Amino acid sequence: MVAIRTSGLTKRYGDLTAIADLDLEVREGEVFGFLGPNGAGKSTTINTLLDFTRPTEGSATVLGYDAQEEADRISPRVGVLPEGFDCYPRLTGRRHVEFAIETKDADDDPDDLLERVGLAPEDRRRRAGEYSTGMRQRLAMAMALVGDPDLLIMDEPSSGLDPHGIREMQELVRSEADSGTTVFFSSHILEHVDAVCDRIGVLNDGHLVAVDTIEGLRESIGGGATMTLTLADADEHARETAASIEGVTAASVSGQTLECSVVDPLAKATVVTELTRTGATIHDIRIEEVSLESLFTTLTNGDSERAQRSHIASEDTTEPVTQNPDSEVAG
Amino acid sequence: MTSHIATVARKDFADAGRSKLLWGIVGLFVGIVVIGYVAIWATLDDVVASEALGFLNFPIQVVLPVAALIVGYMAVVGERQSGSIKLLLGLPPNRTDIVLGKLLGRIGVVVVAIVIAFIVAFVLSLVLFRSVPFTDWLAFGALTVLFGITFVGMAVGVSASVSSRGRSMAIVVGIYMVFVALWELLTAGTYYLIYDEGPPVEVETWYLLIDQFNPIFAYTNFANSLVDGGIFPFQFQYGLESTEAYQLTPAERYAGSGDAPFFLQEWFGIVVLLFWLVVPVAIGYYRFQRAEL
Repeated sequence: MVAIRTSGLTKRYGDLTAIADLDLEVREGEVFGFLGPNGAGKSTTINTLLDFTRPTEGSATVLGYDAQEEADRISPRVGVLPEGFDCYPRLTGRRHVEFAIETKDADDDPDDLLERVGLAPEDRRRRAGEYSTGMRQRLAMAMALVGDPDLLIMDEPSSGLDPHGIREMQELVRSEADSGTTVFFSSHILEHVDAVCDRIGVLNDGHLVAVDTIEGLRESIGGGATMTLTLADADEHARETAASIEGVTAASVSGQTLECSVVDPLAKATVVTELTRTGATIHDIRIEEVSLESLFTTLTNGDSERAQRSHIASEDTTEPVTQNPDSEVAG
Repeated sequence: MTSHIATVARKDFADAGRSKLLWGIVGLFVGIVVIGYVAIWATLDDVVASEALGFLNFPIQVVLPVAALIVGYMAVVGERQSGSIKLLLGLPPNRTDIVLGKLLGRIGVVVVAIVIAFIVAFVLSLVLFRSVPFTDWLAFGALTVLFGITFVGMAVGVSASVSSRGRSMAIVVGIYMVFVALWELLTAGTYYLIYDEGPPVEVETWYLLIDQFNPIFAYTNFANSLVDGGIFPFQFQYGLESTEAYQLTPAERYAGSGDAPFFLQEWFGIVVLLFWLVVPVAIGYYRFQRAEL
């Protein structure tokens, strides 16, 4: 079963194309992270799914219903955490949840839900106008959970939350997913998606540039990892040995260190055993996974080499960071 | 599909009930009634209770439209601007529920204020004049409620039609200006352009029909036939109409023989008020259904 499907979904505002020919499929029961930089079209896509916005071309279905024509059939079964929303300043947090329960004809206990999202009992009785952004986010999350929805659609759920709040949000998403809820959420920060998602879709400039599991994405980009070995005697022989192993794409020697780029995780162990077998003495091993951030940058820049270099350059303080546009502006 | 209109209306009324808006308006109306009654009682001698009631017509026709427009003009667009509409539409209520629920909620606010003001009038009439013209009081009260609802409807209709608070306010102010300050220019002015002279007292029927489509005229004309008082609509006068004409109702100005047609009778004011309630709401509803949020 498919929870969300968009077919050729396109939205134009005058000359500006917010999303272009988007074909997306979110399966029932999975946690799907919708990733992209600000302005990529994530909110436009979500707004179309919720019928806040109407597509210029194409269509979308949510839980099998047309997002535009059959919106009334969708909303009772979906929990929504919108982006850029506000609460009713004069109503208490608890009254908000009661209202959501009333509209969904559910029998939830408002306090249970507010407890789950971590809104303290004394805060529940306060007017939402006095809430911080994080508290509003928690309140909206509680409203989204009303009626045990089949699908949660969350637009930038981590915005306004501190790191602790973000972890709680992720746990909440995980536990909802474990109880069978499909979760679709957007973020512009990859690590928030990484922790909870089964699959991610990367949106850039209105185009879907990748849909895969995180491991799958890593592999398809050939990112893999960098192994740095400190040897008693790092020489050309050791470099050749390492380079000849399948799954190692490059190896280089400088001083006591041998650096290998590994695309196949299994190759790491082979590097160690092969070097030991050919007589090398290994003092230390350091393995660095290609960071998801650089992977993301690679995908959204559409120019993998530049992105990789930029990433490396920004970590190496001895090299001037010429690729960083911000520093050029500042200079 | 169950309708969520009542749920939205209750929430909206509860929300408005916690604002200073409702209580400000209740206070204003009660103040007008109290000051009006006491002033009439203290300054005029042989006034009877039904005349005192009639005097309320004037302050109400000036203040109630303004109050009702203020109550309604932010109803939908306010939620759109703050973003709370996304929270609301993310729940089962749809756009129809929002427009109609908001309309009912805001109507509730204005009706509560009018009802309280009329109860105060009832009590004061009893205390100061030792009698209450009950049927007059009831009919005048009911007509005033409809008058208030009409202006709430106009404002909610506008608030559903536009995407910003500023636009809503501009249009609502414009509507009030048309009814109070520009009506004579639009009607008698048009007549002047066509016939090269202002409309005579006994004027063509089509002119009377258009002229009385001002909801404030409709209210005062009908109210005058329900209670004693002889109060005329509050409006800017440009002298395009003769002095005599300002004092007469459309039925009295009817030029034909026999009784004036039904659409010039005072009760037709009800149709005029309903027209100004339904049309703006329908336009707002139509535009809001198609809006991008």
